[in-house]
Amino acid sequence: MIAFDYRTPGSLEEAYADLKELGSDGKIIAGGTALVIMMKQQLLQPTCVISLRNVAGLSDVAENNGSVHIGGLVTHAHLDASDVVQGKLPVLGATYHHVATQRVRTMATVGGGLAHADPNQDPPPTFIALGASFELSSAGGTRSVAAEDFFSDYYETVLEPEEIVTGVSVPLMGANSGAAYLKFLPRSADDYATVSAAAVVTLDDAKTTIKDVRIAMGSVNTTPVRATASEDVLRGQPLKAEGLREAGEKAKDHTDPVSDFRGSGSYKTQMAAVFVRRALEQAIANAG
Amino acid sequence: MKFSQSATVPAGREPLWQLLMDIPRVATCLPGVEGVEQLDGETYQGTLKVRVGPIALSLQGKIVLEEKDQAAWRAALRAEAEDRRVAGAMRGKSTMELKELSAGETELTVETDVNILGKIGEFGQPIIRKKADQMLTKFIDNIKKELAAN
Repeated sequence: MIAFDYRTPGSLEEAYADLKELGSDGKIIAGGTALVIMMKQQLLQPTCVISLRNVAGLSDVAENNGSVHIGGLVTHAHLDASDVVQGKLPVLGATYHHVATQRVRTMATVGGGLAHADPNQDPPPTFIALGASFELSSAGGTRSVAAEDFFSDYYETVLEPEEIVTGVSVPLMGANSGAAYLKFLPRSADDYATVSAAAVVTLDDAKTTIKDVRIAMGSVNTTPVRATASEDVLRGQPLKAEGLREAGEKAKDHTDPVSDFRGSGSYKTQMAAVFVRRALEQAIANAG
Repeated sequence: MKFSQSATVPAGREPLWQLLMDIPRVATCLPGVEGVEQLDGETYQGTLKVRVGPIALSLQGKIVLEEKDQAAWRAALRAEAEDRRVAGAMRGKSTMELKELSAGETELTVETDVNILGKIGEFGQPIIRKKADQMLTKFIDNIKKELAAN
């Protein structure tokens, strides 16, 4: 690794000032699970690393006004163990529970993971399916961006150089709703998914019709994607196995995967259809 | 990694050929290319700046015009470049063919075979093809503009 300076600002304001001063030579570090690997590989060579370890107020998970707010510095392990998440959004806890290994989950933060924007990550599809929004803050203020609009390209987001992901807001699911996140892992438990799918389904009171549905996938494109074509064939339709299969097929419209050691592009597209259908089945079972 | 692109350029074959063989001038049509100059005969040097996700690459190297066959309206060039900071390099070969569609229209076909070496290749494989496609599309757009301006 190339030598670098290390700063530990004591507040967000100080961190913003550091970012402004250093420009593209400065890199924010939170848990460091992604950044340090890229620095060791010399893919990234910041002259200064700005740690958020002394910044207070971004490490809480709390419920208020119908949504769960997650601070940007909450670790994966903390989120997974959080009573609020376990009680109100178990799908989110389960998603974070399956990220990499315990060691990574102990260090990696929610905000840091999102800013890293690897298209194979687990949390983004779940956040998109849940209709979450991300808080992006800078010296100029805070803006909120819908999860599905945040990822712009391979490892790229709409985050401006002077902005930090300071939190995530996730609306609570309504009555008769269920959610699921499924990760296809043919290799090892700590691997990235070959494909992944998240679904949130809301049924009518009789539980025979799909009132609303949101579906998202990971590892099938240069960003996580929302499968709107799949949603469109289900919304307002009666619950039928045939419909779920068709939704799975429609998910293929949103895929453009690369071939790699986890599978060929065409295999991943086929698997996306299977995993979207299975995620829907499980979400519906959880809604009942 | 191989890819092929073709486009119809609203210009005659001769002016398009002249532009393509003027390496320093045509290089300005490729987004991210800087400071191309002739070293000798058919060898040029220059820098290509390109972003792959969070990684900014500055590839410095040489371009050699290996084939220049105006009778067949065909040319080939080889490029080798490396980034000294980020451990990465590229080696590639491009073949261009010009087919006359009419007096004022030429079909330009560019076939490229490129290898991206080092860590950046492992990291960037999924995006490099897309980036290369985008760059070639812009290249052809810029060529059209350059010819229209003259």
